[in-house]
Amino acid sequence: MRRANGSAIETVFVVDDDSAICAGLCDLLESAGLVARHFSSAEEFLGKWNPGMAGCLVLDVRLPGINGMELHSNLLISQITLPVIIMTGHGDMPMVRKALKAGAVEFLIKPFQDEELLQAVEQAYTLDRAQRQAGDLVNSIQARAETLTAREREVMAFVTAGLTNKEIAEELCLCVVTIKLHRGQVMRKMQARSLADLVKMSERINPHRGSCAVGSA
Amino acid sequence: MRPGYDARMTVLTRNRLSGWTFQYGIKPCAIASCFVLVALLWTFPLQHVIAYPFVFLFFAAVMGSAWFGGFIAGFLAVAMSSVLITYFFIPPLFSITVAKESQSFLAAFILSAIAITIVSSARKHAESAVRNARDQLEAKVQERTAELLRSNLEIQASERQLRMLTEAIPQQIWRADAFGRVEYCNQHLLEYTGGSADSLQGESFFNILHAEDSPSLSKGWEAALAAGGKFEAEARVQRADGVYRWFLIRGIPQRSQDGQIARWYGIHIDIEERHHTQERILSAHEDLSRFSRAISLAEMAASIAHELNQPLTALVSHAAACRRWLRTEPTNVSRAAAAADKVVQEVARAGNVVTRVRSLFGKTDYVRELTDLNGLIVDLVQLLRDDAIRRGVSIRLQLGEDLPKLEIDPVQIQQVLLNLSINGMEAMTEIEGPRILEICTKALGTEGVAASVTDCGAGFSERVKASMFEPFVSTKSEGTGMGLAICRSIVEAHNGRIWAERTERGTVFQFVLKVSK
Repeated sequence: MRRANGSAIETVFVVDDDSAICAGLCDLLESAGLVARHFSSAEEFLGKWNPGMAGCLVLDVRLPGINGMELHSNLLISQITLPVIIMTGHGDMPMVRKALKAGAVEFLIKPFQDEELLQAVEQAYTLDRAQRQAGDLVNSIQARAETLTAREREVMAFVTAGLTNKEIAEELCLCVVTIKLHRGQVMRKMQARSLADLVKMSERINPHRGSCAVGSA
Repeated sequence: MRPGYDARMTVLTRNRLSGWTFQYGIKPCAIASCFVLVALLWTFPLQHVIAYPFVFLFFAAVMGSAWFGGFIAGFLAVAMSSVLITYFFIPPLFSITVAKESQSFLAAFILSAIAITIVSSARKHAESAVRNARDQLEAKVQERTAELLRSNLEIQASERQLRMLTEAIPQQIWRADAFGRVEYCNQHLLEYTGGSADSLQGESFFNILHAEDSPSLSKGWEAALAAGGKFEAEARVQRADGVYRWFLIRGIPQRSQDGQIARWYGIHIDIEERHHTQERILSAHEDLSRFSRAISLAEMAASIAHELNQPLTALVSHAAACRRWLRTEPTNVSRAAAAADKVVQEVARAGNVVTRVRSLFGKTDYVRELTDLNGLIVDLVQLLRDDAIRRGVSIRLQLGEDLPKLEIDPVQIQQVLLNLSINGMEAMTEIEGPRILEICTKALGTEGVAASVTDCGAGFSERVKASMFEPFVSTKSEGTGMGLAICRSIVEAHNGRIWAERTERGTVFQFVLKVSK
């Protein structure tokens, strides 16, 4: 059994109201050595959801209550990045396009070959792992950034914005030596090997704010 | 009483009185006096020449008075003559006494004179009565002549008005004799056809009709002539420039007083626009029904597909899993067996879906009636007529004689023929030249009856031939692919068979139905 980052077990979550299909798909996935769980409705899946879940979601479009497409968009709104594979009995092109545009990994039209599903799951796992790793990296940078003092955070913002020590000193009304000390502390605490490394980290934890705007914080 | 009225009455009475006095008093007196005086004056000189001249002259005077003055003048003349003769000529002369020997003479004179008066005045009276009668007759004749002249003029005027009216009506009008031979056409009809009045007379009238409409119209016309009833038909009439337009042709018989048909009046009403509208409505209707059929078929197909997809997806997954369980090292036989069980289960479920769908379609009532296939085809052609005209297709029938009656569901078999005919007509939309759809029937003896629908369309490829009777196979962009599939299922339900062949001219769809024993 594969584990992602040693914590959550990678699982394929199958959501279909037809229990026979759920059973069939789980049987197939298990025969391929994967862990599978099935849910008969979108509501049931959301009820069991926790952020530690890893793997991917195989969703039928036609579901009682919240349908597959709605569940997919709900997940996106709640920033749940679990990769989604959509399946349907009648694939019309607009629906396929909509699903793929919304970020579905694959759109399968029933009945499909085992290879099609397994390849899609493999693809979804790869994506999930990448997303998870990226998420972990951000978390560790975030943790490191939290060890900085208020002054060090200020200095880091100016440094990543491209200001020289002298300019920062003028900006904060401190002497250049003090700035140099703070800067050394920042580099050490953030485990940054170079200025470029520090800039990258800053971008990762503040992806929406350009590094130029940090100074006002 | 008012004084004025009284005065007027008096004047009137006086006038009438004076007129009466003149007529019966003064005028006869004057006439009698004149004649008698003239006779008297002539008697004196003549007295010396001949004996008793007064006899003739006074007779003449009496006759003249009676002739010109009537009875009264005559009698006055007799009286005056008698007195004068007595006085002047009968002795004793110059006295009114009469000698005894002359009394008989005078009496004879008076009697003769009275007789002459009566005869003369009666004659005169008769003559004037005849003249009066003649005058009256003449006046009456003149009056009648004038009347006749006047009514003649009136008739001419009304005829002119009628003709103007027939020319003013923006419709084409004709008149035919009792045998249906056209005698008169109005200007509109002549202008439309571009021919002369002669070119439309008699049988040649049918030449302006479309060749396809002419036989049926002529048949209907003959039937109307025989029955003496109203005639109405729709037909295409050729315009001067060769274009055919649709007309409603109506004929109404006019009967003479003895009930015999005297002549026929006809009118042609241009219904080209109406025809187009009808065609458009029909075609819209057809499109709509085809569309709704396609939609319901699509919906049905989608729901059947979904129903079947569910078990298929499950069974495909289990089957794949089964294969994988057997391929893993070491093989997991128990999981493989469980998956195989599931496969069997899902196959059964898929089978149930198919059975359910079939039972859904199998709800039609079983009908078998002894039916004349040719009659069915003739009815069908009536149904197809408008469609065929719209598509420019002529339908030809070649119906076999002595066809045995078949025990079939007439509605279903007609549906088969309808589907095949419409297919055939649609296949000919693209082709140039004559579009002919031929429907044939033939008795095959013990084998049954064969019916075929032949078109001269593009035909089909060998690839299509193999699957053309399968459902959902269509070469048409809007086709549902159910037409031929339905045909086959109907024919097979009748224990018959249906197939298609390519010929030099086009495609033949043929089916054979068995004769019931």
